[in-house]
Amino acid sequence: MKMTDKIEQMIGAYLNGELSRDEEAELMNWIQADPSNKSLFYSIKDTWDSTKPVTADVNQQLLYFYKTQARKASPKRVLPIWTNVAAAVAILLIGLFAAQFIPFLQTGNKSMVESFQVPKGSHSQIVLADGTKVNLNSNSHLELAPDFSAKNRKVSLEGEAYFEVKSDKSNPFKVQTHKFDIVVTGTKFNVNSYSEDTNIGATLAEGRITLQTKNMRTITLKPGQKITFDQQTMKAVLSEADVESDLAWVDGEFNFKAIPFPDLIRRLERWYDVKLVYEGPEFDSMVYTGRFKNQETIWQVLDALKLTTSIDYTKINFREFKLYLKSNSM
Amino acid sequence: MPNFEQVFRKYHDSLFLYAHKFVADESVALDIVQDVFTLVWEKEKQQLGDEHLKAYLFSAVRNQSLNYLKHQKIVRKHQQHHQSLESEMEIRYYESGEKSLIQKENLDQIYEAVNSLSDINREIIELSRFEGLKNKEIADRLQLPVRTVETRIFRALNELRKKLSERVIRILLNIYQLGK
Repeated sequence: MKMTDKIEQMIGAYLNGELSRDEEAELMNWIQADPSNKSLFYSIKDTWDSTKPVTADVNQQLLYFYKTQARKASPKRVLPIWTNVAAAVAILLIGLFAAQFIPFLQTGNKSMVESFQVPKGSHSQIVLADGTKVNLNSNSHLELAPDFSAKNRKVSLEGEAYFEVKSDKSNPFKVQTHKFDIVVTGTKFNVNSYSEDTNIGATLAEGRITLQTKNMRTITLKPGQKITFDQQTMKAVLSEADVESDLAWVDGEFNFKAIPFPDLIRRLERWYDVKLVYEGPEFDSMVYTGRFKNQETIWQVLDALKLTTSIDYTKINFREFKLYLKSNSM
Repeated sequence: MPNFEQVFRKYHDSLFLYAHKFVADESVALDIVQDVFTLVWEKEKQQLGDEHLKAYLFSAVRNQSLNYLKHQKIVRKHQQHHQSLESEMEIRYYESGEKSLIQKENLDQIYEAVNSLSDINREIIELSRFEGLKNKEIADRLQLPVRTVETRIFRALNELRKKLSERVIRILLNIYQLGK
């Protein structure tokens, strides 16, 4: 069939310019009017689509792919007896992935330092040699003392972890963080010590813990209590904890009670390995309370935020989103 | 049998263009391609024969694009609604067996075909696609009315489309003659 000039010009405008609403409707009507119109239109658009330059670099995309797979593969392994299996796992994985994404062994002169690194976007469960269970949250690092054993139970933590410490009254278990140390004998507790967060602290689920700050203040927690430090001033607040909400992350859930907005954002960034940007002082002073259950993607979480708060979002880049207040966008 | 990395390198760019065709957003298209390769990786689909694998990859990209569009429909209720409907319609068109040039041809062969276009048509493809100029900017650059540029876009694409389909027919003829 003979094409009219008008149709040719409208298709050219549709693909690479501007078409008014009326013209677009006219074009769509023409496309629907006859199967041969439709196949001509799709074939022209297809030619247009196939000549788009590819801007992405395949090497970078491949590297990014491997990193994502490494994150998913390595930290979810549960190691029943850490000391025996660690070397084998490390060797196995080093062949596949870059070293920073895996649990690794650093060989010192004499002693070996065993440590776990959990990257953003994942979490991990490990069992230490003394039988203590540790859940490590995203972007966290747990290092065992060089001579860690059932008799010498000392670890250091950056980030967040939930501990179920094997009871042993004569050999206390010690967790060091950059701002405070915790000494226990047999308990269940959560420690949050991300250096970039506004608030850090610990929540006690069972048993008893003694916490000592770097300036030698000692605080004892009872079950169901939590201690929160303002990271800048190290001012401490002891309060009744919502244990369920503080430990929700262990089961892959989010449950927040009055969390500062910037801390919420950093949690989401770590958990989903995305970048979330926002501007404006309104955000810094906001406090968020709410829960997300079994959200698989960051899209779902952002949609939930959008539905329940005045926050909206747009995707601005590869794994990068911008948050803004709805009223500002009007 | 090709290993995973070979498959990734061979199909990445084409799948990116194919996803972009439907979702019209580069970063979303890259995400979709990453997700599709995750499926390949987890299910070891690289062991499929090449033709099978290729069909699997392109249809996976279509499905992921469709999911994305459906999701967008919920998120942005009003704006862009008709846009995503049009894209959905287009996906259905390819689901019914029609093959895109992106699937049929190597990208190098498409660029080669662009080079073989008449000067006036090659110029318009280069300006609009490789330099990324909009019709209005091209009109300013070439001192032409916008309407003329729009028509030329159509005609350049039409020539390119015919060149590419002639090429396919020639290859088929060669195969036929070899077989004789």
